[in-house]
Amino acid sequence: MLGFALRRILVAISVALTVSVASFMLLHLSGDLATAIAGPEATSEQIAAIRVQHGLDQPLVVQFGSWAWHALHFDFGRSFYFPEPVTDLLASRMPVTLTLGIIALAVALLVAIPLGVLAAFYRDTWIDRTALAVSVLGQAMPSFWFGLTLIMIFSVNLRWLPVSGNASWKNFVLPAVALGYYAMPAVMRLTRNGMLEVLSSDYVRTARAKGLAPRKVLIRHGLRNAVIPVIALAAVQFGFMLGGSIVIEAVFSLQGLGQLAWESIARNDFPVVQAIVLVLAMIYIALTLAADLLNALLDPRLRA
Amino acid sequence: MPTRIDAGRMRKMGQGLAGALLGGFLLAVGPSPALAGKANDTLVYASDSEPENLSPYHNSLREGVILSRNVWDTLLYRDPKTGQQQPMLATAWTWVDPLTLDLTIRDGVTFHNGDPLTPEDVAFTFNYVLTPEAKIVTKSNVDWMKSTEVTGPHSVRIHLKAPFPAALDYLAGPTPILPAAYFKKVGLDGFSKAPVGTGPYRIVSTASGKGVKMARNDAYWPGSPIGKAKIGKLEFRVIPDGDSRMAELMTGGVDWIWRVPTDQADQLKRDPTLTVLSAETMRVGFLQFDVQGRAQENSPLKDVRVRQAIAYAIDRKAMVDNLVRGGSRVMNALCFIEQFGCTDEGVPVYSYDPAKARALLKEAGYANGIDLDLAAYRERDYAEAVIGYLRAVGIRVRLNYLRFAAFRDAVRGGKVSIAYQTWGSYSIDDVSAFTPVFFGGGDDDVTRDPTVIAELKAGDTSIDPALRKAKYAEALKRIAAQAYALPMFSYPSNYAFTADLSFTAQADEIPRFYAASWK
Amino acid sequence: MTVRPASPPLGTPAPAETVLPETVLPPSRSPAAIALRRGLSHGGFLIGAGLVGLIVLVALAAPLVAPHDPYAQDVSRRLIPPIWHAKGTAEHWLGTDKLGRDYLSRLIYGSQISLLIGVSAALISGVIGTTLGVLAGYYGGRVDAVVSYVVTTRLALPVVLVALAMASLVGGSLKVVVLVLGFLLWDRFAVVTRAATRQVRAQDFVAAAKASGFGAGRILGQEILPNILNALIVVATLEMAHAILLEAALSFLGLGVQPPLPSWGLMIAEGKPYMFFQPWVITIPGIALVVLVLGINLLGDGVRDITAPEGRT
Repeated sequence: MLGFALRRILVAISVALTVSVASFMLLHLSGDLATAIAGPEATSEQIAAIRVQHGLDQPLVVQFGSWAWHALHFDFGRSFYFPEPVTDLLASRMPVTLTLGIIALAVALLVAIPLGVLAAFYRDTWIDRTALAVSVLGQAMPSFWFGLTLIMIFSVNLRWLPVSGNASWKNFVLPAVALGYYAMPAVMRLTRNGMLEVLSSDYVRTARAKGLAPRKVLIRHGLRNAVIPVIALAAVQFGFMLGGSIVIEAVFSLQGLGQLAWESIARNDFPVVQAIVLVLAMIYIALTLAADLLNALLDPRLRA
Repeated sequence: MPTRIDAGRMRKMGQGLAGALLGGFLLAVGPSPALAGKANDTLVYASDSEPENLSPYHNSLREGVILSRNVWDTLLYRDPKTGQQQPMLATAWTWVDPLTLDLTIRDGVTFHNGDPLTPEDVAFTFNYVLTPEAKIVTKSNVDWMKSTEVTGPHSVRIHLKAPFPAALDYLAGPTPILPAAYFKKVGLDGFSKAPVGTGPYRIVSTASGKGVKMARNDAYWPGSPIGKAKIGKLEFRVIPDGDSRMAELMTGGVDWIWRVPTDQADQLKRDPTLTVLSAETMRVGFLQFDVQGRAQENSPLKDVRVRQAIAYAIDRKAMVDNLVRGGSRVMNALCFIEQFGCTDEGVPVYSYDPAKARALLKEAGYANGIDLDLAAYRERDYAEAVIGYLRAVGIRVRLNYLRFAAFRDAVRGGKVSIAYQTWGSYSIDDVSAFTPVFFGGGDDDVTRDPTVIAELKAGDTSIDPALRKAKYAEALKRIAAQAYALPMFSYPSNYAFTADLSFTAQADEIPRFYAASWK
Repeated sequence: MTVRPASPPLGTPAPAETVLPETVLPPSRSPAAIALRRGLSHGGFLIGAGLVGLIVLVALAAPLVAPHDPYAQDVSRRLIPPIWHAKGTAEHWLGTDKLGRDYLSRLIYGSQISLLIGVSAALISGVIGTTLGVLAGYYGGRVDAVVSYVVTTRLALPVVLVALAMASLVGGSLKVVVLVLGFLLWDRFAVVTRAATRQVRAQDFVAAAKASGFGAGRILGQEILPNILNALIVVATLEMAHAILLEAALSFLGLGVQPPLPSWGLMIAEGKPYMFFQPWVITIPGIALVVLVLGINLLGDGVRDITAPEGRT
């Protein structure tokens, strides 16, 4: 196990390093940084001075080193647009996105796991087929369109929930449903398959033969074994949802990381964009690492 | 364990991440929002863009202008009804000569932080914004001044670079007075986070992405021509998306929105809980062509015939009648027709004639059509309609829809073939606030025609009204004849707000919330 | 294994475990006749094939079936409601948009864009992903480790954000969207072909080919590729659907396909200001997208079930 864990951590670190190179390159591809920092009215002397002052005349490798060193200390430089350090901006927007992600994940799991269990237990019945239809539809609907439809129905027509912003918990209901629906099918299918596997395993058959009530078998043996990979998948889905929340935040005018990223892209504010790319990637890497270690801990076959 | 995470103080993302996980629910979900509406004496207004910096000289957004007029005062006040200048922070003014203006500064005015207003504040403000280090973005509003000096305990003297007849208009608009001592203490960064002025509202809190909360300045100086604010609390919410703004208004989340497209304004009129106002504004839209051909090699736009073809290809009248509506008018000269010095007499008119457009393109050697790009930052529909018209004569145009800051940088940097500009003249009723900005040789002048620059300069710096009019007319004629830019039409503004609110709109596109009241 | 082929919330989150490697079988053992018989009795497959077939047909015959030029604008005939509405006219079955363009014609031409993007992005990503996956699966060892690492890196990047940033740097256009999506969506191809290749590689006929002294190129081309084709087709449908949804999202956010092209995502974005009072301007293109993606997904699921050794898993 230790060997596996070490190998896995090594991979995570090298992936993190690669991602940070990619995100550094993103910033540099966005145009001449000295000109951008100096502003549109700067003279060429001012630009040259800024180039030296910010070390932008150094070789790219040196620049990357200094950038990575600062990034490691959570210093992503200053926004080109707002008169603020990027870190402050991220810190003020992060809670919104994390809250959205957590609620969306909760929504997804609360729907997907029971549905998956039921689908497996009542395999090939109308319950199974309904669960399948719900998940197939979830895969086919564009999230922004689903979000708009939710606004039309629940905000404007029924007036149950607010349209935009993040002033209270009510603001998170619709975006979380819209975002959660997209994580739901994967979790549902995994739960169903896991349950089917467990239900056809020897010890469940034995238990059944012994005359234990089906529901008891399901809960005592089935769920416990099927749910572990689901938790691992959920961790990964959470990482994806943070990245995917950009569309949902745009639809619901939620002032989170996604909205900030989208607006920063439109404003050519690339120090902010690259920091968000980096932070989201790091969260994802950490989550997958945790998921893999969890899986390996529980299932020795995976440690190969 | 802290019960609330103060986002502003979280320097480190490490703490931020852990803290955010814990504090996320508290911060994002916890406190109940300040409610909009009459019952709470809170007027919540929503608009699309967030000023990059709340210092009034460091953003060129309309949202910034609104804040500026509600939070800061200017030396003079221009009565929107009569157009006359009245005393505000200055009680009297005299022209010593065309290059020297003496002003008497009012006694007994205090800034929101308690500092009294002194002539030093005036001199500091104007001298500071003229320094290159101040990096202000509204240069054209102040660069007519050379310097300002304190000449007595209650007086200042402004020295001009050249005669500037519109000077008083500028002192009554985009030149608010900043608190010298406070600004020097906190610097621009500190000032942008906690701005201080003398105006009818004071800023209570600001947060990026969330907007600005204001409260009535109860100590507002008596005798101000605009008077004390009537509504207790004012809140600016940034809602980038126009449809969300509309939905928020319909559901009572906000009290006031503007820039409602005419189609939706017509629909909102049917709602008895809302009031909809439509009025023409001073804002004029126009296509600015890359005449110098910087955006692409061998740009077809260097050829006057191509620019004229574009002008003939667009049915501006049909756009005004069907798409824009709300009191909009087609403009033929590159300015707002009611401004002093703006005239379309003798200015060539390009009326819709697609056949002529095709013929001109053919004559210029582009019978097979051309490919161009068009950048826009507002009213996407108008830009798309333009693209549709151009497509019909064989000009294939790609839309590049940007936020204003990116748009401005791209245009100034010569990366745009056709820029769909709009200009509201900072609500100044003089052509010097419009045409010279785009043709006077400044940052936004991508044409740089020396003849036009000279004519505009002559108009800007003369104190003889007849001569000014003549010079501007010549410049406007040349701009149109060369089709350096194609004026489109004046913009209407549709305001929609709760029926509880008594609000009057002005043509200068500046909502005066201090004058609004509950019914 | 370190590769985790879960899917982003935005696109089609069908996880790769729906394409289990057991589905791989040498074609000699699953004759076309069996597949056909299974296909005809598989409801999902039939519906999917029908929907996709219909949309492909419409896209190909767009100039013939579209009643109007999708770009012809007439601002004096704006926002005419669809025919079932009291104010609808037979001249514009689905009404007109905000610039007076025929909505049905735009919808029809829009199918070309969605299909073009889906197919080209899946092709590009298929080539990249399959190459990586087959190499990793065939050679194993260090090659496998490198590919796993590349895939993990790619998965760590937030797709929508990176695609938006790239599109904004280069400037959004049809070509850019295809390329960006093609270069971003290859991960599932790599994961699935890697697993499939490993399995096929262990089979007798590959060992026999190896024993007869055939080179790696020939074995890969003649023995392995045909045998992982079924798995490839399934992934290709998933990625097509994924690409179509992502294009719609990018266009919706203003950085994908640019006006006046009638992309369905763009039509939703353009119709958004009207959604409260003229809801059909966003429901119509939205339903078109759902139908197309649903069709492709059902088709993919059908192919997987039909080619699986024991019917449905």
